[in-house]
Amino acid sequence: MVAPTEDAFKHAMSANAAWSAYKTHQNPSFFSSLATSQKPAILWIGCSDSRVPETTILGLQPGEAFVHRNIANVINPTDLNTMSVIEFAVRYVKVQHIILCGHTNCAGCAGTLASRELGGVLDTWLTGLRTVRDAHEAELSAIQDDAERAVRLAELNVEAGTRVITANKAVQEAIKERGLQVHGTIYHVGTGILRDLGLGTAVSADGVSSVVANGVAEKREIVTGKHGVLDFSDAGAASLAVK
Amino acid sequence: MPTAVALPKHLQQRYEQIFEHNQAWAAAQNERDPDFYKKLVQGQTPDYLWIGCSDARVPAELVTGLLPGEAFVHRNVANVASNVDLSMMSVIDYAIRHLKVRHIIVCGHYGCGGVQASMNSKDLGVLNPWIRNIKDVYRLHESELDAISNNKERYDRLVELNVMEQCRNIIKTDAFQESYAANDFPVVSGWVFKLHDGLIKDLKIDFRAMLEDSHKIYSITK
Repeated sequence: MVAPTEDAFKHAMSANAAWSAYKTHQNPSFFSSLATSQKPAILWIGCSDSRVPETTILGLQPGEAFVHRNIANVINPTDLNTMSVIEFAVRYVKVQHIILCGHTNCAGCAGTLASRELGGVLDTWLTGLRTVRDAHEAELSAIQDDAERAVRLAELNVEAGTRVITANKAVQEAIKERGLQVHGTIYHVGTGILRDLGLGTAVSADGVSSVVANGVAEKREIVTGKHGVLDFSDAGAASLAVK
Repeated sequence: MPTAVALPKHLQQRYEQIFEHNQAWAAAQNERDPDFYKKLVQGQTPDYLWIGCSDARVPAELVTGLLPGEAFVHRNVANVASNVDLSMMSVIDYAIRHLKVRHIIVCGHYGCGGVQASMNSKDLGVLNPWIRNIKDVYRLHESELDAISNNKERYDRLVELNVMEQCRNIIKTDAFQESYAANDFPVVSGWVFKLHDGLIKDLKIDFRAMLEDSHKIYSITK
């Protein structure tokens, strides 16, 4: 029998006391201003995976990102949990950006590609991921490397998720009325870097994606052909991903 | 997709800053521990499952000092753990059966907008069914709550009772019952984060008693 790790619990409680004292020392009115209201500019939708803590990896402060995290960041239009979060964040909190974030080394993606059965309710939850896998079967099976194939599935899952988010009624109205932006990103667990995939509102009707990455605005054009994806950026760089 | 209007410049800059912050953080973390990312790539073995509110002011890892890899996290409106929510049930199932977390924390917070909405009589559209979960918590503790005359105190108490009820909902799940019977873990804690001083209040719930109480009706391990 393994004993519950009470030490880790005490650690979290004492770390909280230290953090609270540190923040108050830095700025005595930090918590009193937080208590008034929240005005985050961002709604972050990511994976529950412990290796992708949004506030830490983005260097944000409490109050800056409204957060929803579920298994494999699957976005289902009839999931009332996610849809309630989006409704609350867009209509009431009035965020300006929705960032959907997938990540590399995702067990959900690897398991889906290996058709691994997880049991319980999990196989039902991951139906969305299998749908994406099956829709892109040719592209995915052409990728030799297992890890790369899982990253591509994670990207395609984010792409599918941004489509559902931008089709949400509250989101559509906010895009039109106040310029809400929807972004699709991938977090690289092995390097700690977040990459903008140029999806969501960055994509116009003609397939041109204007992506802002590394703080430098870039105009990108993504051409998806039968055998590969060509990515042209304004800065002169072009890359080709072969299917 | 509808045509977008341009975003104000300061908000655009805020978004760009995120990527700058991220690069700085990644580099700093690499300097602190050059093997940090190598270890993360191997997989996750978090001790904790954190179920918290989506509220921007309660970032799980910052308020607890937990590092990437230490807490599996689900956050939704008002930290509700409904038994028909497949998202939450999947999180609990995966955390307990596959990650074998030792500790589950439900963390609510005073000043919660979701709990406040449950005390109003407004029609919130698609949010109604979600908020109904919290109205049901009020109904379960109606006499206690109605006896509190001060509005703010009653609101604070509902925040606490909601956390306790969600702990109970987790304890009733198949995954929890089976794991606890076999391993004596995970431990379940109910916390409330206080926005005015940044400290966590441990509600010190007796989760073993909750499990005992739930046996007659909810047991699936006998």
